Amino acid sequence: MPKVANAKTQSLDSIIESWKGKNGSLLGALEHAQQNDPKKHLSEATLREISKRLNVPLSQVYSVATFYSFFSLKPQGEHVVVVCRGTACHTRGSLVLLNEALTRLGIKEFKEEEENSATSSDSFATIRTVACFGQCALAPVIMIDGKVISRMTISKLVSLLEKLKKGGEI
Amino acid sequence: MENLIEITIDNQPVKVDPSENIVEACARAGVKIPTLCYLKGISKNASCGVCVVEVEGAKSLVRSCVQNPTPGMKIWTSSPRVLRARKTAIELLLANHPSDCLSCVRADTCELHTMANLLEVRADRFPSYKKYPLPDTTSEGIVRDDKKCILCGRCVSVCEETQGVNAIAFTGRGARTRVATFMDRGLAQSACVQCGQCSVVCPTGAITEKDESRDVFDALRDPKLNVVVQTAPAIRASLGEALGLPPGSLVTGQMVAALRRLGFAKVFDTQFTADLTIMEEGSELLERLSHGGTIPMITSCSPGWINFIEGFYPDLLGHVSTCKSPQQMFGAVAKTYYAQTAGIAPDKMRVVSIMPCTAKKYEARRKEMDSAWDWWRGKDAKLAGPRSFFDVDWALTTRELARMIKLAGIEIARLPEEDFDDPLGRSTGAATIFGTTGGVMEAALRTVYEIVEKKPLENIELTQVRGFDSIKSAEVVLGGSPVRVAVAHGLSNARILLDEIRAGKSPYHFIEIMSCPGGCIGGGGQPVLADIEKKLARNHALYVEDQKLPLRKSHENPAVSALYKDFLGKPLGHLSHELLHTSYRAREF
Repeated sequence: MPKVANAKTQSLDSIIESWKGKNGSLLGALEHAQQNDPKKHLSEATLREISKRLNVPLSQVYSVATFYSFFSLKPQGEHVVVVCRGTACHTRGSLVLLNEALTRLGIKEFKEEEENSATSSDSFATIRTVACFGQCALAPVIMIDGKVISRMTISKLVSLLEKLKKGGEI
Repeated sequence: MENLIEITIDNQPVKVDPSENIVEACARAGVKIPTLCYLKGISKNASCGVCVVEVEGAKSLVRSCVQNPTPGMKIWTSSPRVLRARKTAIELLLANHPSDCLSCVRADTCELHTMANLLEVRADRFPSYKKYPLPDTTSEGIVRDDKKCILCGRCVSVCEETQGVNAIAFTGRGARTRVATFMDRGLAQSACVQCGQCSVVCPTGAITEKDESRDVFDALRDPKLNVVVQTAPAIRASLGEALGLPPGSLVTGQMVAALRRLGFAKVFDTQFTADLTIMEEGSELLERLSHGGTIPMITSCSPGWINFIEGFYPDLLGHVSTCKSPQQMFGAVAKTYYAQTAGIAPDKMRVVSIMPCTAKKYEARRKEMDSAWDWWRGKDAKLAGPRSFFDVDWALTTRELARMIKLAGIEIARLPEEDFDDPLGRSTGAATIFGTTGGVMEAALRTVYEIVEKKPLENIELTQVRGFDSIKSAEVVLGGSPVRVAVAHGLSNARILLDEIRAGKSPYHFIEIMSCPGGCIGGGGQPVLADIEKKLARNHALYVEDQKLPLRKSHENPAVSALYKDFLGKPLGHLSHELLHTSYRAREF
């Protein structure tokens, strides 16, 4: 996809316009719209607008938006932590990492078998799980704010989360 | 058939057509490959894995629904490896499928059950792990129960491709995949037009009509109520099939007898009001043609179609005839004219209709469909009663009626042929063919021609609009000028004609649209899993009935003439507008 420049200033209108008629316009517009959203999610209004303007039925927009784990229909926190729960990462201790991240960020309710994301009540961070990043050789893998960090350990994770809390960037 | 190729199927050399898939090639060679998600002409998702065959040289088993034969191909259709794979595919589907088959409405028509039995699945091999939401009962016509869904995708295909509605799609991923509407809101708030085609193609009990037969049984047993029934044209050509007779069995007389035995006070015919519809709609067409009204005019009998245009083309609603459908005209006439003549208190009368359709359930519950109550209120508020009542109380599908008949122990094949009751049971052949694509058009032209030309129509069979071509058209000369007509069945085909109108390029004056492929004989309330041969048999049965009847033109129906003389006045008159016409509104979803 094209580089998202000045994402925060772009209107949904111009995002959709920039994708119209291109290959993969639906996926591109959804991705672009989510990145541009202040709460990093796709609201119903956004999905409806994309459906209308790209002439893709609502059910199919919803189908695509719920298929890819990248998309979130719920508002996400300021920071997004994605924990890989694939087989390789699991055997290298990703469950412990997941629980550590949940505790550190103060997220209590998270039933992994029913959903794949939860947001802290102060909207500081969202934790999501995915089935695999395709980086199994570097397991366990965690992505924080779009950056994939391999061979994760608890101490590494804790210091990264502390850094976030102090307003730092990864 | 010139480009046949030679392949071997289970060691037998055969010549097959390479443009067909292996399933069809094998069928022609006398080998039936079991299929579940594949449905000819509807869907081939290659999702279920049941149709696998072994092909020499291929590294894995081949899904025969999405693979065509190539010259010299060697296929084994029932090797141990093939049978093992098929059985595993079914065992995996059964892992998360409830085992309440005994109480499932599709117990005797479930393809998953048939397949499990065929492939000798004798035990639950895999444990269940999925959780499901409660069934979606939000819509008037259709119930979706995710528990029984095997994700074959037939419903999604028929909704998207055949109907162009796209109410449902696969959502989620992996083990959480489900078929759902936008935002999971339920069918009532979706684009769904309630045509019910999904319920006809569903292999299991995941999509069914909303069963109201219990309410009808209760009403029939209530001594205070007077319960009358009307039967749509297409029922007589499909009820026999639903009860185990060969497809296309015409059971008009036995159907009447069965309904009487179920306890209906009068057995009437929706065909009576189909004739009435032609009088009103034909007059409306002539009115529009002569007074510069909105042209092309489009028929309004099919409630799925009405839901469709209200949702997708609300800007074109002015093209739709204001005539109510025959079902609703019947309800309004029965609870006014008939109730008054027979001295029945309107609020003690119940009208049940037997319809080939799930959308008819919705249509009966549209809030404006209480014209009889309005009429009585203007006449005698005490008799009308304090609470509004619908013109039609329950619309049952062919399938529901078939179950009621079986439950009551009635054997239709042994019943004598009986006649409909007077006066709302009289009809003509023109009304009979309402039940199939092109029929409303043909019926309308038989009458309109004679009204305009004031002489008998010589050849009343308008064969150009018959048959299952997706869009049919014809030109007739009326009063010296050509009138162009078109017929579409299946809503994707309707879209083509509507887009033409929107673009200002429609060459037509009059268009018939029916929601379902084949028209009502292929309706969403009809016996499930009807292939094209079964639909053709039903279609043929209606034309046979039309030919047999002494009267074949709506305006020759003496009971309709009497209704105008004694009650309505004239077509498009004041009372007609009050009882027989309606209006439409844009639908948002």
